[in-house]
Amino acid sequence: MVQPLSSQAIYVVLLRELKRYWRAKARIVSSVAQSFFFLIVFGLGLGRFVGGVSGVSYLTYLAPGIIGMGLLFGSVFSGVSVLFDRQFGFMKEMLVAPVSRTSIILGKILGGAVTASIQGVILLTVSGLMGAFELTPTLILGAFTAVGVMLLITAGLVGLGVAIGSTLNDFHAFQLLSTFVIWPLFMLSGVFFPIDVVPLPLQIAMLCDPMFYGVELLRWCLLGEGTAMLGPFGWVISLGVLFGFMALIVSVATYLFSRVQV
Amino acid sequence: MTEEVPAFNIIEVHALTKVFNHEIRAVDGVTFNVGKGEILGFLGPNGAGKTTTLNMLSTLLKPTSGNATVNGHRIDEEPDEVRRSVGYVFQDPTLDIELTGRENLDFHGRLYHLNRTLRRQRIEEMLDIVQLQERADDLVKTYSGGMKRRLEIARGLLHHPEVLFLDEPTLGLDPQTRRSIWEHIHYLNQEKEVTIILTTHYTEEADYLCGRILIIDFGKIVALDTPQALKAQLKGDVVSLTFESAAMIPRIHPLLEKKNWIRRINAVSNTTNQSSIGNMMHTNQPTAGSPGIRNDPHRTKSATSTVKQTNMTNHPPTAKQLNLLVDDGGHRIPNIVKLADEAAVVLESVELHKPTLDDVFISATGRNLRDQRGSFMDMIRRHRIMRQARGRPTPG
Ligand SMILES: Nc1ncnc2c1ncn2[C@@H]1O[C@H](COP(=O)(O)OP(=O)(O)OP(=O)(O)O)[C@@H](O)[C@H]1O
Ligand SMILES: [Mg+2]
Repeated sequence: MVQPLSSQAIYVVLLRELKRYWRAKARIVSSVAQSFFFLIVFGLGLGRFVGGVSGVSYLTYLAPGIIGMGLLFGSVFSGVSVLFDRQFGFMKEMLVAPVSRTSIILGKILGGAVTASIQGVILLTVSGLMGAFELTPTLILGAFTAVGVMLLITAGLVGLGVAIGSTLNDFHAFQLLSTFVIWPLFMLSGVFFPIDVVPLPLQIAMLCDPMFYGVELLRWCLLGEGTAMLGPFGWVISLGVLFGFMALIVSVATYLFSRVQV
Repeated sequence: MTEEVPAFNIIEVHALTKVFNHEIRAVDGVTFNVGKGEILGFLGPNGAGKTTTLNMLSTLLKPTSGNATVNGHRIDEEPDEVRRSVGYVFQDPTLDIELTGRENLDFHGRLYHLNRTLRRQRIEEMLDIVQLQERADDLVKTYSGGMKRRLEIARGLLHHPEVLFLDEPTLGLDPQTRRSIWEHIHYLNQEKEVTIILTTHYTEEADYLCGRILIIDFGKIVALDTPQALKAQLKGDVVSLTFESAAMIPRIHPLLEKKNWIRRINAVSNTTNQSSIGNMMHTNQPTAGSPGIRNDPHRTKSATSTVKQTNMTNHPPTAKQLNLLVDDGGHRIPNIVKLADEAAVVLESVELHKPTLDDVFISATGRNLRDQRGSFMDMIRRHRIMRQARGRPTPG
């Protein structure tokens, strides 16, 4: 079936996500606090024993990964809220309107990506204030690139959440989602150590994790090439993988959402 | 209310069927038309298929078979056109409680492609009608159940739909709010010429609002006509007999069947029959039957002096009550009491009234409208809606 897109519909769903994000102050605060604790405990505490990684302090090395963690949690949750919309009825209001489901889902994904990326920018600022980054012109340029990267990563992850939220039929599976989807994506993303220090099977597992490329790219943006693990063209590979992941998962999410029955 | 002959059918439904999970025939080959400007009521017990029918007509659900057109557009071929023509006030809550009332309306206006000025104007108009101006900028989660319901109704009307589906619009509302919503539905239909399909369990609601009533049971249409015509089909009076126990019914039934002045006998499985609205009478006071007085607030139900109140019997699963359709019921009550004596059965009460829509329903289906036949989940959900409507927090 042809599904014409309506920019108005995409916009209005996006607007709703922004409003809801902004009003859920507790969620923003708790996410920032969580990242803050990670940076303190691991960056400053563990950092004393680890020393530096790839020529930068451990706190600095950790920061892009912790930002990635914030993006991951925020965006998957944002996507899974499709399930809440279904359970609390609001989905019917959207589905009965004369707009295509594709528009609704694109609005949802865009909205989730924007809100999660705002979260990412907040975390970037917090870690900057904690001394993770040196304020240089290169960093400022890199930070702007990083925002683009954040949008790319989160679009895919919101899509993942939407796909899950369209398939599940109740909240009972939430624990499973967290244990078997979010945590592995986080643990294998190379937040805490460079990929070359672990055994080969684990390296392969990490290479299968889209978040690994996301964190890799964020490091490349914020810390420069020195810390990149995939060689001089690491950023090209990472960008390619993230684009592929995003395109694939958004298509899958759109398909699964189109089959949702109220 | 005199119904004019509608100019044309704005909804045409042909053999519409929905089967869930290959076994539940929720809607089973339903065929009917709705004329432009009509108010059609769906009357049926829990799980009859009312909501499922509306979900198919609004393109939310794909029919298993059959078809329908709404405002000239086939539901399977032009879903967007159908949705543009339809306003749907859902049975279950569908507001975004994290947004304000005004934002909910604005969201709706944008989804239906109203431009900014039109949106502003309509939002004010609707807020005015449902009297929510003062609370419009509060978050919906701070609203009472009735306010939420009114907001949902306002939202369904915002885009001036040709056809409006109201799924139990007044469930759980207090009498005043229900009244004002009835008035509003009436106004929309008369002034704005909106065609309305309304589902309800309340026969008073159907009687008051609807030009025609479609009685649906187990997914099938069992009757479709004006309220007057439906009631007129049951000529005479309804005499309801409540016995002390279900076991007594087989004893009196054959005797009743032999009498030719009893035109129909229906066993009613609901022991607490609240639906029959009329005067209660005792067997030892056989006064002439008063014509069915509707909504009599003083009606009481007590055992007769001649009948001993037995201890709480465990609820018999079968009928304790028989409804007889009788010519000139008032004069037949002594005969009926005599028959009861002959059969040696104990009557708890006898009630006489003019046929109501409830009787039409009982006569068509053999069951009371208020029977709970829906699934366990339906009951839970209904309970939740009622609680919300009364403004209590829902658990979980
Ligand atoms: N999504 C679904 N999956 C399976 N069965 C369903 C589904 N929706 C409805 N049913 C079943 O279809 C039947 C008709 O349900 P429907 O909601 O249409 O009844 P209704 O007439 O609206 O009842 P109520 O007065 O309780 O709202 C019921 O037996 C119900 O359990
Ligand atoms: Mg229903």
